[in-house]
Amino acid sequence: MSIPVTTKAAPQTAKMRKGPNRPRIQRRTRNGLLFVSPWLIGFLAFFAYPFFATIYYSFTNFNGVQSPKWVGFANYTALFHDPLFGTSLFNTLFYTVFELPLSTAAALGLALLLNQNVRGRGIYRTIFYIPSIVPLVASCLIFVWIFNPATGIVNDLLNDVHIQGPGWFFSIAWSKPSLILLGLWGVGQPMVIYLAGLQSIPAQLYEVAALDGAGAWHRFRHITIPMLSPVILFNVILQLVACFSYFTQAQVIEGGDIGGPGTSTWFYVQYLYEQAFQFLKLGYSSAMAFFLFVISAIVMVLLFRSSSRWVYYASEG
Amino acid sequence: MSVAINRRTRHKLGASAGKHAVLILVSVVLGFPLLWMALTSLKTNHQALAVPPVWIPHPFVWSNYPDFISAVTFPRFVLNTLMYAATTIVGVCISSSLVAYGFSRIRWRGRDFLFKVMVSTLLIPFFATLIPLFVMYKRFDMVGWYLPLIVPTFLGSSIFSTFLLRQFFMTLPQSVSDAARVDGANEFTIFTRVILPMSKPALATVILFQFVYCWNDYLGPLIYIDNQVWYPVSLGLTLILGTYTTNWPWVMAAACAATLPIVVLFFFAQRTFIAGIAIQGTGDKG
Repeated sequence: MSIPVTTKAAPQTAKMRKGPNRPRIQRRTRNGLLFVSPWLIGFLAFFAYPFFATIYYSFTNFNGVQSPKWVGFANYTALFHDPLFGTSLFNTLFYTVFELPLSTAAALGLALLLNQNVRGRGIYRTIFYIPSIVPLVASCLIFVWIFNPATGIVNDLLNDVHIQGPGWFFSIAWSKPSLILLGLWGVGQPMVIYLAGLQSIPAQLYEVAALDGAGAWHRFRHITIPMLSPVILFNVILQLVACFSYFTQAQVIEGGDIGGPGTSTWFYVQYLYEQAFQFLKLGYSSAMAFFLFVISAIVMVLLFRSSSRWVYYASEG
Repeated sequence: MSVAINRRTRHKLGASAGKHAVLILVSVVLGFPLLWMALTSLKTNHQALAVPPVWIPHPFVWSNYPDFISAVTFPRFVLNTLMYAATTIVGVCISSSLVAYGFSRIRWRGRDFLFKVMVSTLLIPFFATLIPLFVMYKRFDMVGWYLPLIVPTFLGSSIFSTFLLRQFFMTLPQSVSDAARVDGANEFTIFTRVILPMSKPALATVILFQFVYCWNDYLGPLIYIDNQVWYPVSLGLTLILGTYTTNWPWVMAAACAATLPIVVLFFFAQRTFIAGIAIQGTGDKG
């Protein structure tokens, strides 16, 4: 199900009509603003104000009780000398770099599987989708249990085929890949979006291509991918936002050993959270928050810039 | 001739069997963690840890459920979560539908610009604004309970809901508004008497997603709720993991108890779920 969107206002007719229409236009503007005012107030109070306050705090020494004390760039220089800041940034980028392409491929692959004309499609779709609605904390508990190195079923099964299973969440080398696996288990959401995208591609395109002798790969590469590209962009953006704020899974799974084993799963916002709410270093954590904003803004701008080269909007061509 | 047809049907059957084999294999891999969770939740701890693994619990220890439930005041966690969900659902339904109406059914200067501003706030990391918000709520003495999570929903904080309702409002014909306007109705009357009654399916989607969001929310309560009495289900689960780490049947029973309502809800409202998600991706392309 997709809902057509019309954002374009009707073209303004003759300028002459502007005069007598002015009161009507003013009334409309007033009404429109009144209707959106709940969001507008919320935006100013819960977004605009805290956004600028974060920037201000980042230049201060602040513990939430006494008033903030201006320290210039001290927090930022401290950040770049803080090894855990670097580690947490690295871990977050590592997770993003692997999770983003893998989950995109997995979601798209599952959607392609479901888009085939087979009996019982609805049942398969349900099974593929359900892991993504399992409460995140519950998914973490399940993964900690089945991937337990000593007593978990996964290593038992690996043992049956004579593979010595790794330490998963308890191993420095495997802790991040284990979290990536957990992420891949829950790709139901983008999968459904891809499936809806696949189903909106006109069948004639494939028929014509098949008549021209295009094979399955060519049809995928030159019809499916371009037609899906807006949906891919949308999913990649959502994924990126989620990766930059990767928190819940790591926090739950690490339990008492935050960041562990070693420092292999310190994620950026976990470290920010700890600095802010355990140590009340609100100035320092605000600097981290603003730095995170700058990084994600840069990535988003680059992504949108590049999108004009690989995203195809059917209505334009 | 008949041989050719025969060969073709056989080929088709083979292809379809191959497709099913792949689909079944993937289903087994994706479904296995949930199956294992359910099986573990019904074992004795001894059986759960047995090597080689015991697949079918023997006997079925149904008492794991009442036992863990009474050990950690689970019903209280469920009540807290329901309260959190119910209040924010009211907030979201009121504010998001108003805002969505302003962004779709009235044409005014600056509307599309403000709409873009609203959608683009989704791209900003949550943590970029968290610290001053926390300080602000602390100053208003709102930390410790759900108010910091409830109040914003009355001020259009659920952008997903606003977006979804806007998309829906745009599909309603302009003529219904015009007819009411001719009868002398003002915008607010058109909103409450004409548009809202036509939007029950969209509102149902919004309510469903808000409920699932609250049921799953971990970060919000983690930041603002410090007293265990007020824990929602998500924080309750981490409490169980921390307290009964060695009792895996209990931990899995808790995971199962937290998952079951959502899965049941999904089976009753599958269409609404799928449609709601699909709208996000295919609704607005520019």
